Amino acid sequence: MRVRITECIDIDLATEKWMCNRCAQELGSAHASYKQGCVVRERDPHEIHPPRGPNKEFNFSFDPEWMRIIEYYCPNCAVMVENEYLPPGHPLTWDIQLDLEKLKEKHGFAGVAGAAAKAGVATKAGGGEEGAGSK
Amino acid sequence: MGKLYDQHVRLFDGLVYDRVAYDRRPGCDPELISHGLEPVTEIEARGMANLSDVDAELLTHKLTTIVEEARDVYQALSISEAIMVGDMNCGIFTASGDPAMVATGIYFHTMLNNSQLKYANKYYRPDPSVGLADGDIFFFNDELGGGVHPFDMFTAMPVFWKEELVAWVSCGGHQGDNGSPTPGGFNAKARTRYDEGLHIPMMRIGRNFLLHQDVLDMLAGSVRNPFVFTSDLRSRVATMQQMHKRLVREIERRGIEPVVGGMRMMLMRGEQAARARLREVNDGIFRVVMFNDDEIGVGPGLTRIPVTLIKEGDEMTILVQGVSPENSLGPMHSTWHLTRAATAVYLFSYFFRGLPPNAGLLQPIRYLVEGPSIANARDEIAHGMGTGIAALVANGAHVLGSKALFDSPYRDSVQAPHSRNQNVFIYAGENRLGYPTANITATANSSGQGGRFDGDGESAIGFFWGPFTDSGEIEDMDRRLPHFVLSRRLEKNGHGWGKYRGGAAYVEIGTACGHTGCFLSSWGAADKLSHNPGLMGGYMGPPNPRVIIQDTNLIQMIREGKDIDLNNYEVVRDQTISGTYRVEASGQPTEHRNEGDLMMYSMGGGGGYGDVLERDPAFVAKDVVEELITPDIAFKIYGVALDRATGRLDKAATDARRTEIRRERLAAAKPFREFIGEWLKKRPPEKVIAYYGDFPDPRAPGYDKPFWGIYG
Repeated sequence: MRVRITECIDIDLATEKWMCNRCAQELGSAHASYKQGCVVRERDPHEIHPPRGPNKEFNFSFDPEWMRIIEYYCPNCAVMVENEYLPPGHPLTWDIQLDLEKLKEKHGFAGVAGAAAKAGVATKAGGGEEGAGSK
Repeated sequence: MGKLYDQHVRLFDGLVYDRVAYDRRPGCDPELISHGLEPVTEIEARGMANLSDVDAELLTHKLTTIVEEARDVYQALSISEAIMVGDMNCGIFTASGDPAMVATGIYFHTMLNNSQLKYANKYYRPDPSVGLADGDIFFFNDELGGGVHPFDMFTAMPVFWKEELVAWVSCGGHQGDNGSPTPGGFNAKARTRYDEGLHIPMMRIGRNFLLHQDVLDMLAGSVRNPFVFTSDLRSRVATMQQMHKRLVREIERRGIEPVVGGMRMMLMRGEQAARARLREVNDGIFRVVMFNDDEIGVGPGLTRIPVTLIKEGDEMTILVQGVSPENSLGPMHSTWHLTRAATAVYLFSYFFRGLPPNAGLLQPIRYLVEGPSIANARDEIAHGMGTGIAALVANGAHVLGSKALFDSPYRDSVQAPHSRNQNVFIYAGENRLGYPTANITATANSSGQGGRFDGDGESAIGFFWGPFTDSGEIEDMDRRLPHFVLSRRLEKNGHGWGKYRGGAAYVEIGTACGHTGCFLSSWGAADKLSHNPGLMGGYMGPPNPRVIIQDTNLIQMIREGKDIDLNNYEVVRDQTISGTYRVEASGQPTEHRNEGDLMMYSMGGGGGYGDVLERDPAFVAKDVVEELITPDIAFKIYGVALDRATGRLDKAATDARRTEIRRERLAAAKPFREFIGEWLKKRPPEKVIAYYGDFPDPRAPGYDKPFWGIYG
């Protein structure tokens, strides 16, 4: 059973995998970010937002030293499932981290019991380190 | 808190999260600001116990008509530019000071006023030197006690029935000049709150429904536009008197307990309805990272404002953590309560769409705003442009809310946010009616809506803070302002591309009026980056710096009867009007402008929704015809080929171009692990991140793995 989570991304509740909504390409474990199953491209913002006017500092486009565009594509059909505007080298965002157990319950998925042994939301598969503070 | 919160949220030691970043001060009790709804009183409990569902519904509708009438009265009586076009609000509060019924305009105004009413209840009512009585009139504009910024000014009035305090009413809005060093109110170069004019916490300025003339003279004598200020203050008192009269009439009709209990019931039902909706939304953690290009008084600097939404069961936490630290160089600093109230603009309009807007809707939501930081700054800091930071949190919440709502019964609320590319011009001078005036222009109320899950965003839909606002009638503005409007056009190439594009903003071009000219400053950001996120593959809208063209030949061209095309896109790109072009950051100090100098500004277009290659080619062709995009954007970005001579769609060439773009994407992209290894070695130039804090995480020196990131 596939559940549509965003415009171009589904979750297969049986396999607990992200899927491309357009071509059914698997995009990795739903316990991690779907971005890890995508192919990724860095773009100069001037390619997308052409500058105009006489000033190189302020020109109705993003300053490439400040912001880059990160595009995430399905590796099969190349649909752009998401993009981010980030300073160079800034960590990529784990934007959607769902409680899969609760998601299955909500959609009445029969495999709930089998998945119950797993943690509701994976903390390791995404590779994200937990906790920068100590409180 | 819930399982997800406990597993994944780690707050930093030494910082505050659930309250303001300053202590008790005159007119301000931090405890009152952050503790939510007051307990149910005995009279409220008795009233609720005896109130039928039908009577509760009737009362809800009655109070709605009272605040909506008040909104109309206030706007009709006001002569302040911003208030006339909707930058205002009216509300009815419980006797304890919680907002029970809110009129449209700017929701967050009313979501902030509560702490000042509670302050009067707690400290002034029992104080014999102040006290509290029917017909008292209070004034406040201090952001630290619960306001927005000192240019937004409010009045409040307690409502008594036979010696019993039964309610408060309030109204207010963006009044403009407050005696700040910069005419019109905003001071883009302010470094402390003492650079931002009058700050008045809850202060009684009248009794028995009468303003004290001596106090009024003091206030009016402290601003540059005393006639407008006095007139507007009187209009607020008249509006509150109308609400007071209507509310007392309802008590006479229904009795005190049903009305007081009914107001409390509205709050409780609001909370119940919010919890019911939250239960229908997927549990999970949703994250977005917002950035600002704050002018910081000495030049632009990059700052960061991440927003995390943790949704579990019927509760939600909005966590603003990993925020850039305060700087003492500029006024872009928010407060805990402003950041919280700002999200109400999104939540009331979209996430909780259809539910009666009141403070009960926010009860299931816990707000953790890291401070001291630019999102929750200390008291001595300048806060005048804190709305710029609060808006980024609201925009972030909008992105996250849309991702949370997609797999829910409320998908129709999924869309990219309104543009918040703040670029507001503040004028001062004598208008054509002959009196001094100083305020912001209503063109701010014409930003573009973000692309929706099922359609394009609306163009020039309204103000970021109030979708219901209007941008004003140009002929009226020409009379009231010390400059006049030459052109208002939808901006070309000024929105976000997507399967469904963002709406375009109006770009206004104006010039100073007559031989006296006018004074003009501006404030804002989104000059080197943008504040109009796309959604689910849609692109952001572009930045929009301000443009000034000095010493033009425009007046001469008008005198000679020449045909002048004031399309801002071509004017800036091709410099079609002679003069000195200044394209620069939005936050600039006051300058005198002469007739013929051109001022050009907009609030930006909305972000796009979905992949550009999925946009219907016919829609792209229409965008070109309507001059919302240029033909090169149609071909390069959307992959749509149009016949150069006729503009007609070439389907075969379009299919080929889109196939080519998809091949380019796959050829240029890298697998995630390969990409991230190279990406994380990069770093912005040091001059860019001078005010950012430690990079990449401003709050954790040397730590490069904050909890929301992914690292392959």
